[in-house]
Amino acid sequence: MSTRPQLWTTEAEIDEDLAEVDINVALGNYGQGQVAYDVVGIPPVLNNSTLLAMQQQIAQQAALSQIPEVVKRFIVHFHKAIVDQNITEITAAYESGWNKLTEKFYSKQEWPEAEIIAPLIGDVRVSLLPVDILGFMGNSDSESPPPLSLPDQWLWDIIDEFIYQFQSFSVWRSRVRQKSEEEIQLLATEGGQVWSCYSVLNVLYSFIQKSKINEHVAALQRGASPEEIADIVGEYGSKPLYQMLGYFSIIGLLRVHTLLGDFTLALKVMDNIELSQKAFFTRVTACHVAAYYYVGFCYMALRRYPDAARTFVSILNFILRMRSYHTRSYQYDQINKTADRMYALFAICNALSPSRLDDNILNIVKERYGEQVTKMAQGEEGLAAFEELFLYACPKFISANPPPYHDASLLGPYLETPSPIMEPAQHHLGLFMNDVKNLLAVPTLRSFLRLYTSLDTAKLASFLDKEEEDVVREMMVMKQASRSVSRATVSSSQEKERIDVRARPNGSLLDGETISTSDLDFVINQNMIHVAETTVGRRYAGWFIRNTEHAQRVLDTLRATPLPVVSPTPLPGHVQGPVNDAKPTAAAARPNNAWGATKKVEIAA
Amino acid sequence: MSAITPSTRPEVIEALVSGVDRYNPSNISILEDYLFHQIRSQEYDCMANLAILKLYQFNPELYNPDVVVNILLKALTSAPHADFSLCLALLGERDIYPPPQDEPDVLPYLLPRLTQLSSTELEILRDNYTVEYIGFEDAVRDVVVRAVRAAFQKIGRDRLSNYLDLEGSALDDYLSGLAWQQDLDSRSIVIPPNPDNRIEATVVRESIQLPQLTKIIAHAQVA
Repeated sequence: MSTRPQLWTTEAEIDEDLAEVDINVALGNYGQGQVAYDVVGIPPVLNNSTLLAMQQQIAQQAALSQIPEVVKRFIVHFHKAIVDQNITEITAAYESGWNKLTEKFYSKQEWPEAEIIAPLIGDVRVSLLPVDILGFMGNSDSESPPPLSLPDQWLWDIIDEFIYQFQSFSVWRSRVRQKSEEEIQLLATEGGQVWSCYSVLNVLYSFIQKSKINEHVAALQRGASPEEIADIVGEYGSKPLYQMLGYFSIIGLLRVHTLLGDFTLALKVMDNIELSQKAFFTRVTACHVAAYYYVGFCYMALRRYPDAARTFVSILNFILRMRSYHTRSYQYDQINKTADRMYALFAICNALSPSRLDDNILNIVKERYGEQVTKMAQGEEGLAAFEELFLYACPKFISANPPPYHDASLLGPYLETPSPIMEPAQHHLGLFMNDVKNLLAVPTLRSFLRLYTSLDTAKLASFLDKEEEDVVREMMVMKQASRSVSRATVSSSQEKERIDVRARPNGSLLDGETISTSDLDFVINQNMIHVAETTVGRRYAGWFIRNTEHAQRVLDTLRATPLPVVSPTPLPGHVQGPVNDAKPTAAAARPNNAWGATKKVEIAA
Repeated sequence: MSAITPSTRPEVIEALVSGVDRYNPSNISILEDYLFHQIRSQEYDCMANLAILKLYQFNPELYNPDVVVNILLKALTSAPHADFSLCLALLGERDIYPPPQDEPDVLPYLLPRLTQLSSTELEILRDNYTVEYIGFEDAVRDVVVRAVRAAFQKIGRDRLSNYLDLEGSALDDYLSGLAWQQDLDSRSIVIPPNPDNRIEATVVRESIQLPQLTKIIAHAQVA
């Protein structure tokens, strides 16, 4: 009879996984994929009343003159780029121009209305609200979508912003006490139906179904030919605009389901999405980071802490590597905030299911959350630290349903119930803390067992100053805490058998098999506890390979360096080493540089 | 969570759970009937039950406390999987904390606090809500058996008797059902070896694959 597969033996694969991240792919090419989008062409606005039209025109001209010159130039340029379908220009204009100008001029107010800027670019109105794009898709079954392009980044922002609005509105709506009479009135009547869960899911599912993205990805995975794929996905699915919107909608669904507390469904919608650093979504860094954050959190909700930790480690390493390339992006702040929350979540996972997954990440966690990390290992006293980190780092949960605005007789009692109940985050915190409390005794037991290879339960109970039967029950809890369903073995066995990745279906994120997650295992024989520890041997080979490679690079550099010209009359005071007459300082510094570099290796290794 | 797709799941349910039809409120009765089928025939399908709770979440007017109670009981007996907590996560914070003044024994109110319940409350729970659930007690025993199987190689008879709430010949019958041997000398029960109660100390050695050495070998060629 074999023992459970060990988490410890699968760790090497993580490094390899990360080695395959192509940072260039993740960064630059938002615009390279041919992406199309549609302009909802609205015929020039013709007012019946000429007088009214004239008045409006005067008002619009006044408004137009208020717009800063630089913004006007930008609008004209941006419009031209879109009309010309110059993806590079669109990307540049969107990524830097739009965001900079928004920050400078429109952080507190809306951009000018389409009517006001119409004289600059003609009467073309571009609608990029998902609902509008969808409406267009629905209405034009007979026509082909006009071939226009948009950067992937922009398409992701459309979906992302859409969900953000839904989330913000839901949060705003749930705060009954801060509402004015007028707002309550509005929410009681037509406002109640705005942003219902059904309408939001409807938009996302429509994109997914219209673009046939799930079928598309499945076909890619089994290695279908481009012709077959074109057949499967149909007219809309073959247009990159709809492909990307469909794809991003899946990530959007992951987020919406998580916000609503449906963690299994959130992972299930990702069935066809390969969660790897080579996945499609890595093209847009913000999307990449969001996908990992929500998947990681869902794993925590499923109490699959090792999988959650692996997910966080993988993306946090990516963010670390990307940092030096990406600092100027407007997404950078947002990514950094999400990363910080993931460090907090990783700290929680590591407290509940310790592993030596990644020392680098663990060290950063200790730097940022050192105080909480220490407290979380201290049983009862650590509960507050768990709560603090969870509330800081959890998604902004929302209630699926509004408070009963439509019925004043229900709204009164609703307001009287204690307030914590109304916050969905408190609800999820409560559920999470139940699990934390269950596992409270584990760290202490573990630290005792580490000292023994066998130990009597009565003796352990006396150490802990507890009843023997209570300790035995806690031991059973500890045993279950050291087992978890995990994808670790699933993905590593896939890695090993990788002959043709595309021929292998990825398997659901919900899949997994039970593994042992602790380096300390035990079993009870009547009243005797037997302990076995798994230790990780020193990894000489990795160290050897890294340093050999570095030594080779140093050797190559030395060989490529021209020999120093020896001066016929050495200057007094510069006795050590040969000195070049022309550049004495540079030449003197050269040997130092070479050895300085090897010193760095030691630190790195 | 426990099995994502149990082998007992009928095709019609599979189609419902995997597609967008799961959001259609008119399908609620199909899913509810399936739940009661699970209750009667000792099957369990967590995904399908979560789909019911999802419909309740989006359509509060459909909410049926009896159904919720049975879903929670089913989830409870799937421990140590997190099903119970996943179900509670989908139940709005309102639904599980109803004002208890007039009906203190409403189960959705009791269940989330299960570990803190008084013995009277537990009795209410047992008498009123577990009647329909065929094999509820055995399902709870299964939870115990799973925990014992993982942690013990040998367990004292009295201790196990206490865990299972079975004595004398009832316990003997139960043990022979599990094919667990009794060691009469030490009044204990031998748990058959399984991946969780076999432990061994190991040292994880690194394994180096050829591709990791390609750079070094390639360099040696050049040099």
